[in-house]
Amino acid sequence: MGILTVLWEKWVEFRRDFYKITVAAMISPLMYLIIFGMGIQTTSHGEPYLHFLIPGVVAMSTMTGSFSAIAQNMSVQRLYEKALDQVMVSPTPLWQFILGQVIGGSLRGMYAGGIILLLTMPIRTDLTFNALSLFIMFLNGLVFSTIALTLSFLAKSYTDAPRFTSYIITPMSFLCNTFFSTEQMPAGFRQAVSVLPLSQSAGMIRAIANGEDPGWIGFAILAAYLLVFGLLSMNFIYKKKNL
Amino acid sequence: MIELRNLTKKFGDFTAVDHLDLTIRTGEFFGLLGPNGAGKTTTISMMSTVLLPTGGEILIDGHRLDRKASAEKRKLSVITQEYSMRQDMNMEEVMEYQGRLYRIPRKQIREKTEELLEFAGLAEYRRRTVRHLSGGMKRKLMICRALLIEPEILLLDEPTAGMDALSRRQMWNLLRRLNERDITIILTTHYMEEAQALCDQVALINRGKLQKLDTPQALIEELGAFAVDETSEDSLKSRYFSTRQEAIAYLQTADHSAMLRQTTLEDVFVECAGRKLDSGR
Repeated sequence: MGILTVLWEKWVEFRRDFYKITVAAMISPLMYLIIFGMGIQTTSHGEPYLHFLIPGVVAMSTMTGSFSAIAQNMSVQRLYEKALDQVMVSPTPLWQFILGQVIGGSLRGMYAGGIILLLTMPIRTDLTFNALSLFIMFLNGLVFSTIALTLSFLAKSYTDAPRFTSYIITPMSFLCNTFFSTEQMPAGFRQAVSVLPLSQSAGMIRAIANGEDPGWIGFAILAAYLLVFGLLSMNFIYKKKNL
Repeated sequence: MIELRNLTKKFGDFTAVDHLDLTIRTGEFFGLLGPNGAGKTTTISMMSTVLLPTGGEILIDGHRLDRKASAEKRKLSVITQEYSMRQDMNMEEVMEYQGRLYRIPRKQIREKTEELLEFAGLAEYRRRTVRHLSGGMKRKLMICRALLIEPEILLLDEPTAGMDALSRRQMWNLLRRLNERDITIILTTHYMEEAQALCDQVALINRGKLQKLDTPQALIEELGAFAVDETSEDSLKSRYFSTRQEAIAYLQTADHSAMLRQTTLEDVFVECAGRKLDSGR
C-alpha cells in the first residue's frame, strides 16, 4: 500500500514534468549516438561502432534516469522542502517507502532507456532487445536508485546531489563498458571497473543484443549491489539519528 | 497519554534536550515554552520521530514511539515550524498524498479535503502549487493537512508564526474546538498570550532542561499575580506581588514612573529565561 502511495507521488511528478523529463533523458544519449555512432564512422570488432554503442547508451540512460530521479528529489525533499518529515511521522512503514522510491526510480530509468530504444529503432542494426534486456534495465535501475537513496541520506546539503553525479555517474558513464570495452583497460584497473554495476549491465544488454548468453555473474553482481545499498538505505531511514 | 522519560538529545557536544521528563494527559492542551534554542523544536522533532533521541524514550499510551511504531504514529499529526511540503504539488495533491500515507479511502480524502479547504478559505486556490502560495496560505494548508487524518494527538510547532492577528485568533478558536473534541494538543509558541489563552498546562524549558511545569495561572500566582513596571531612563524593571494591596503600597513609594498591571505568562517566561525586558517594548 505504501509502495503504491510513493509510486502515485512519482506519477504526479512525472505527469507534471513530462516534457522536461523526456527531453532531459534524450539529449545526452542522442548526442553520443550522433557524434560517436554516426558522425565519427568507426568499427569495433569488425562491426559498425553503433552496434557496440547502442546497448551501452541504453544501459547508461537507465542508470542516469534512475539516479537523477532519486538523488535530486530525495535530497531536496529531505534537506530543503523537509517534505520527508511528512513521511517519517506517518504510519506508512518506512521499508515500503524505500521500496516505492527504488521501484519508482527504476521505472524512470527504464523510461529513459526505452526512449533510446525507440529512437534507435529505425536504424537497421539487427540488435536484439528482449524481455531479459528489459529485466536487466529494470535491475540496473533498482541498483542505481538504491545508490542514489543512500547518498541522498548522506547528503549534508541539497546541492550535494549534482556533486554525486559528477563524482559517480559521470566517470561510470564513460568508463563502464559504454563507449569502449573494458578489455582494453590496463590490468588491475580493468578488474576494478568490470565489477562496477554499469559495466555489468552494459555487458549483459550487449551480449543479448548480439544473440549471446549474458551469463549469470552480471546478475549476481547487480543483486549484490542491490542488497548492500538497499540495506544501507533501510538502515539510514530507520536508524539515522538526525534525518 | 504521552510520557517523555529522561528524554535527551545531543548534537555532538551540544545537549539540546537534557533528561526531560513530562507527562501529558489525554485531551490536555499542553504548551512547551522556552527562549530560542531552548530545545522545543528538537523535542517536537523527537515526538514526530524525525529525530531519534540520544537517550530516554517517548511512550504513547504505554507503547514506545519509534520509527517502526505504525500504530502509535497513526495517532499523531504534526504541524512543523517550517513549511514541510512538496513545493511542486498543488493543494489537492498535498492533501491526497497525506491521505494516502495514512491509508484513508480516496472518497473520504476528497470529501474531507473539500471540507477543510473550504473551511480554511483555500478552496479557490486548490490547483495552485505550494511554491506559489503566500506564507499564511502555506500555514493554513499545513493545518488542513494535519486535520485530514483526524489525529488523536496534534503536535504544533509555532503554528501561528507569520499569521496576521485575525488569522491567529481564528486559529486559536479552531484549536480550542479541536481540544474540546478530546484531541491532545502539544504546542510550542513564542507568543505567551497564546499559551496563556489556550493551554491547560505549560512546561518552561531552557537549555533543554525543564524549569517549571504547572498551569499558566499557578505559574503566574507563584511569581505574583500583580506586577509593577518601573521605567527609568534606560530600562524597564518589573516587580511582582501576591496581592493588589502590596503592589499599590510599593507603587506609592516608587521613585520612577511606575504602572500597576496583572502579571502575565510572559513575565513568568522572562523571569524564568533570565532575560531582561527590552525597555522599548
